[in-house]
Amino acid sequence: MAKESISYGKRPKNPMIKRVWKDIWRDRRRYFLIFTMFVLTIGFISGMFVSNNSMMTSLESCAERFKREDGHFRLSEPADKETIAAIESGEMADVAEIFRERAYEEAEDEVIEAVDDAMAEEIDKQVRAAITEQVTAAVDKQFEAAAEMGQKFTGEQKDAALEEALDKAISENFDEAYDEALKQAKDSDEYADALDEAFDKAHEEIDKEIDDKFAELSDRYGLDEEIDAVPVTVYELFYKDVKEGLAVDEDPGIGIRVYPERKDVDLFDILDGKAPENENEIMIDRMHADNVGIKVGDTITVAEEEFEVCGLAAFVDYSTLYENNTDTMFDAMTFNVAMTTDEGFERIRGNTRANYAFTYNDRPDDEYEEKSLSDDFMKALITQVAVSENEDIELEDYVPAYANQAINFANNDLGKDMSMGGIMLYILTAVLAFIFAVTISTTLEKESSVIGTLRASGYTKGELLRYYMSAPLMIAVFAALVGNILGYTFFKNVVVGMYYNSYSLPTYKTLWTPYAFVRTTIIPIILMLIINLVVITRTLRLSPLRFLRHDLKGSKRKKAVRLPRWRFFPRFRIRVFLQNIPNYLMLFVGITFVMLLLSMAVGMRETLDYHQAHMSESMFAKEQLILSRTEDDDGNTITTSAKNAERISVASLERKDETYNEEISVYGVEDDSLYIRLDADFTEKAAEDEVYISQAYADKYNVKAGDTIVLSEKYEHKDYTWKVYDIYDYSAGLAVFMTNDRFNEVFDNDKDDFSGYISNEPITDIDDEYIAAEITEDDILKVARQLDHSMGAYMVYFQYVCVIVAALILYLLTKIIIEKNERAISMTKVLGYNDTEIASLYLVPTAIFVFFTEFIAIYLGFILMKVFWKSMMLGMGGWFEFTMPVSGFVKEFLLVFIAYLLITVIDFFRIRKIPKVLALKNIE
Amino acid sequence: MSEKERKFLEVCGLKKSFGSGDTKQDVLKGLDFTVAKGEFCVMLGPSGSGKSTLLNILGGIDSADSGEIYIDGDKLADMNEKSLTKYRRKHLGYVFQMYNLIPNLNVKENIETGAYLSDAPLDIDELLKILGLYEHRHKLPNQLSGGQQQRVSIGRAIVKNPDILLCDEPTGALDYNTSKEILKLIEEVNVKYGNTIIMVTHNEAIKEMADHVIKLRDGKIRRDIVNTEKIAAADLEW
Repeated sequence: MAKESISYGKRPKNPMIKRVWKDIWRDRRRYFLIFTMFVLTIGFISGMFVSNNSMMTSLESCAERFKREDGHFRLSEPADKETIAAIESGEMADVAEIFRERAYEEAEDEVIEAVDDAMAEEIDKQVRAAITEQVTAAVDKQFEAAAEMGQKFTGEQKDAALEEALDKAISENFDEAYDEALKQAKDSDEYADALDEAFDKAHEEIDKEIDDKFAELSDRYGLDEEIDAVPVTVYELFYKDVKEGLAVDEDPGIGIRVYPERKDVDLFDILDGKAPENENEIMIDRMHADNVGIKVGDTITVAEEEFEVCGLAAFVDYSTLYENNTDTMFDAMTFNVAMTTDEGFERIRGNTRANYAFTYNDRPDDEYEEKSLSDDFMKALITQVAVSENEDIELEDYVPAYANQAINFANNDLGKDMSMGGIMLYILTAVLAFIFAVTISTTLEKESSVIGTLRASGYTKGELLRYYMSAPLMIAVFAALVGNILGYTFFKNVVVGMYYNSYSLPTYKTLWTPYAFVRTTIIPIILMLIINLVVITRTLRLSPLRFLRHDLKGSKRKKAVRLPRWRFFPRFRIRVFLQNIPNYLMLFVGITFVMLLLSMAVGMRETLDYHQAHMSESMFAKEQLILSRTEDDDGNTITTSAKNAERISVASLERKDETYNEEISVYGVEDDSLYIRLDADFTEKAAEDEVYISQAYADKYNVKAGDTIVLSEKYEHKDYTWKVYDIYDYSAGLAVFMTNDRFNEVFDNDKDDFSGYISNEPITDIDDEYIAAEITEDDILKVARQLDHSMGAYMVYFQYVCVIVAALILYLLTKIIIEKNERAISMTKVLGYNDTEIASLYLVPTAIFVFFTEFIAIYLGFILMKVFWKSMMLGMGGWFEFTMPVSGFVKEFLLVFIAYLLITVIDFFRIRKIPKVLALKNIE
Repeated sequence: MSEKERKFLEVCGLKKSFGSGDTKQDVLKGLDFTVAKGEFCVMLGPSGSGKSTLLNILGGIDSADSGEIYIDGDKLADMNEKSLTKYRRKHLGYVFQMYNLIPNLNVKENIETGAYLSDAPLDIDELLKILGLYEHRHKLPNQLSGGQQQRVSIGRAIVKNPDILLCDEPTGALDYNTSKEILKLIEEVNVKYGNTIIMVTHNEAIKEMADHVIKLRDGKIRRDIVNTEKIAAADLEW
């Protein structure tokens, strides 16, 4: 044969590589959808994670960078140097001993004076008596001698002579005799004994008084325990609480806390402008400025003095603007923090509050140690203030940093966002997985004859596997790149903007966040690879012949279903439906995902609104008062005359978990309480370790009656194990209930101890100084408002993403259905059906299907969302159930159906575009 | 011609059926034949005679129920899926009735998909010229006529210079003139490259250009003829 004349060429590079690009271009719309979803998921979620991580890290580093305090205390007036030095020593003063010494010292002079006075009087009396006796005897002798001599005197003459002699004798001899007698008396043992006796008596009285007083103090603050010294450095951080007026509308409702220049502690990050340099300049909190619309250069009045705002800053001890640590919520609208120069501070008329910040000289290693240091330091502080030379000085406030809401609230709240981002990520990843699976199986179906030909020609499965993996992988990697870039720029800025809107945060540095990359990028890409790998590998198991015959379904050919004798069009539609059952199943899953996303978008808002509307209803009583101590200064138990007021005890424990430590309130309730109605026989029936838990607790942690729960002290290594007696219908918080008596036993309190009062009537007869916290309906609503404030912005962010992704899914799926029917549609065109008839044949079954599917999908989406919601709530404090009112379901239904109708219009144009020749091409 | 060359393809007792029970249909009912190396073999038969099934089994993309197939001494039944793929890759070329070109690759790239499978492929440009497609090499399949598309399909099969070229009704979708052109091309390829060609067709006229004609009906070989008076494809009439 002529084989010698054959010219051979080189083996070309794999032409399928070129085809990958061409495939991407051919399926650009689909790949664009996948690309968009990937970018949205990665960008949106990593935006959240990155901003969260960057901000949290920045907040944490701020503590050191801006020399944040370890706590602060306020005295009734500035303390002298000695007191400050004593406080800085961190040693507990021996209050009783010092008071005793002082009292003894004071008593000593008085005792001596009293004894001396008594003795002087006695000696005076005795000397006078002695002189009188001697003079009288002498005068009597003289009269006797004169009588013997015959002189006669009248009684009056005698008395006058005696008086004269006495006067003379006393004036001549008394002082000398008195001094002599006094000297002798003071040297006498009797004097010493008298003095000792008087001293003993005085000391006895002092001791009794001091012991009584100290016992009470010691009892309240645990001063009888020995502590290790907690040396600290104390800084003056005086301030004035005055009113701020905006130059524009003299609104006096804003409180402003002005500090003079801060140099050594609790510094600040200037976000705009500069620090004050003269007495007319003031630097205020950035967030307050944003909220009320103050800019650098504006003039504000502070206690009626005008100041020019020279800078906007974030103070390290006020990342959240809590005016008082006992406030239930902060309010950046009506409270501001500011700093002036020392001269500027002098200009402001107002009481200077003697506030002091302190830092520990030896930093605690963890929060347990911090709590223990803080407790010890408090004892040192209380005692040192008590023994201060200035007896008028009093300790008015003590807030360690770990318990300072202004410092911690933002940080804790930022943590919650992570779990919200996490749940969104789960849903989006599931949606992505679904899209990958649908896309790749559609691609393989479309490519059936190509695959059959290539396999018949000798292409291996591995080659085809790599080829069909390439395009999705390239899209995914490219989308990951774009998504991460957007995540670190645009989306991060959006989220950071929300944070700045809620909290007074310092400037931050965008940080590389590995876990965000792993969760938003690596995991979805691996997921996509696995799904593609599984679907492609499974499909490629089929013989090349099956591909050539477009026979990719595992099942054997089905017989045609017999249909009733309906008119032709309905029957045709049913045929279309029956033929597309797998596609419709896919559409069903897709719509369920859409509903899940919409449940999230619509439901989160609705849940928050519902929660807000019903929060006040779930209070035990209209007023809850927590006392700072239960006895007044006179030692009497603080009571109220408010009608039906009940004593209540409250403690806060933690349910420790690897992911989140949940704060649980433990309530001690009066027997037969009107407000917390535990079973009448609970007291008798329940075992010692049995308690009630709130419905919210039961729901959140799946706890049932009979289960065991373990709660721990927050800052101590102490656990409490209880058995659940029953569930108490209370959904506003995670709580444990027991009787007051049990409560006092459990927490080693005195039998009659309690924490405060609850009542439906206003409690007005308790002095403010004894009230630690007052929770009214408005406070509860404030919490909801704040939740709304910090989560509300996210809702909108979530809603956008959910709706966009939902629309993408619907578009993609209906597109796939039309594509799969392209050939049949083309054939009906060839047969002479017009576009409207074809649309009615192919679009109506889908529309009907979508309509009915929506009902099921809405329900499924809601159920799934509840599950996701729960997993989200497990990562943050508190509990409220995911709720959706009927209007929410209607909204979801309409959103999807309207979106579907819009897509149907697009589908109609797609149908019009399908060429007739398609029917005649490539049919074997 | 050696015995081995004479029995380059040997089929013994080949049977194949589809379905089971009542619906069982015997498609091939025990076929025995041989095809010599470099031979142009035409399998003739009406629809349903089992010729396409036979071709698919010979191509290793379908399997027989019983019987043996030996290609150049290698028993097909002994090959696992991997070896079968390798066998197709190294020894077989496929030409389908419906061309099955890859729509978004141009003419040259479609041919390259075949060339890539061979360590010593034919020179593509020369082949394009032989196929009369050189001018069209940058066109996409949908820009070509049916005949041109089938040429591309033949080019893709032949470029790896396979031992056996399997053609399944290559002119089935083409008109008379185009069909003749395609047959001329296959003839030319057979002469130039010396591949063994097995072509399935229902067109009786084509048997005239073959070296060897096997007629099938109802899954059986009705006639197995060596054509000693073959005529050129150009002279075929039907």
